[in-house]
Amino acid sequence: MKINELANLKAESPDTLPSAERRNFLKIGLAVTGVYLGGTVLSLTSVVDALAEGPVPTAGKYPYSPHYTMVLREHLCIDCELCKEACVKTNNVPSYGYRTTILERRRDIVGGEKETIFMPVLCNQCNRPPCVRVCPTTATWKDEKTGIVVMKNSRCIGCKTCMAACPYNARYFNEETRAVDKCDFCWESRLSKGETNPACVEACPADVRVFGDLADHNSRVFQLLHTPGSIVWVLRPETGAIPNVFYTNA
Amino acid sequence: MKKIVAIGFVGAILFSYLLISAADQPAVEQEPYDEDAYGPEALIIWNEPVKGVFFSHQLHTMEMGLDCESCHDDLFEMEAGAAEGQDDFTMAAMGDGMYCGACHDGSMAFDVNSQCASCHQQPEDAIVWTKPVKAVIFEHTTHSEDMGLDCESCHDDLFTMQAGAAEQADDFVMASLYDGLYCGACHDGSTAFASDTRCTTCHIGVRGYARLMGEAETPAHGAGH
Repeated sequence: MKINELANLKAESPDTLPSAERRNFLKIGLAVTGVYLGGTVLSLTSVVDALAEGPVPTAGKYPYSPHYTMVLREHLCIDCELCKEACVKTNNVPSYGYRTTILERRRDIVGGEKETIFMPVLCNQCNRPPCVRVCPTTATWKDEKTGIVVMKNSRCIGCKTCMAACPYNARYFNEETRAVDKCDFCWESRLSKGETNPACVEACPADVRVFGDLADHNSRVFQLLHTPGSIVWVLRPETGAIPNVFYTNA
Repeated sequence: MKKIVAIGFVGAILFSYLLISAADQPAVEQEPYDEDAYGPEALIIWNEPVKGVFFSHQLHTMEMGLDCESCHDDLFEMEAGAAEGQDDFTMAAMGDGMYCGACHDGSMAFDVNSQCASCHQQPEDAIVWTKPVKAVIFEHTTHSEDMGLDCESCHDDLFTMQAGAAEQADDFVMASLYDGLYCGACHDGSTAFASDTRCTTCHIGVRGYARLMGEAETPAHGAGH
């Protein structure tokens, strides 16, 4: 070996790499990491579009017809729980579970006082339902016509993966039917039989729950969600589930 | 001249000392309360038809000088709780000269329809209504002490003093409040916050009710799976 010539060879250490080369290499690494993290934990794709759109779908972009939607006028909820009672009665919900419930929050307001906020919660009938994605037996799916996330009890093996996947804690395991049960906007018990509203909507004395077809511009849900100046929000938008249950104080 | 001033000064000091020491003297010993002559020493407390009405024998006999016969047995039987059992043991009857109303007529003693708090103790605990919806809370102390309202501000025009009376009425609903009935008399948006705003100030809900009654945090169909 010509030891003397070695000193004249081009070094192979990283410091001699052009910075463009280094950047490309790091980009590949980050992209691979991003893909493996599922795109939601560390996403390299732009979220600008998602933020600009807001929780309410743009008018005309409703995949379902009727596009069943519930709007909850949160500030009117008084936790009388007549909705829960009606739901239990209508859908034979056992005492250890619920299809809809009321959560409670307390916050400080001016004057050293506290304000209570009651938050009705139910299945959000998501456009991208995490529960459907994880079901190994296709016992739950999104109805192609109405967009309601429905269950077929005979297919359910009770693995409860859907319960873990649901961002809204809206599913429970029914010991009697040996299947996971959930809100279906009263499709089975009422809507399919010609009723226009779920039982909870009918029972609410404070007009908190408004139900209807978002694709119909004359419906109350459409009007509530498209009132000028009104603020509309959904629960846990960061999950990307695209829920169809909206909250407002209008 | 100087001497006179000095004597006056010493005198003033002495006089003030006397005054101070006199104040330190034990007060004249009170006459012992004789239950045989004046009736039971403990307060009589009625809880029917409304809770927390007090009567002091000592005040009426020993201090006002009434005899036992002034009230017993024409107005009140001596048996404890006898009056409470009567259907006519009400403010209306007293206004007609029965029971306390025999004297409390506005001339002999203050009128029964004045000075409510002389006999009625305002409830310290919150009033909780569970009809027509569960559950609505009312604090007497917030309204009387913090807001400075009198008993007459609400009783008996807006609310009778009988516990649960409003709940029995068919018109004890929000729509009535908007028409100025019940709480709506003040909660109209000008005197106090409008009754169609700040719902949860009074509506504590099923959860708040359970908490108040000391029940478990998660009742049936609760928030946990």
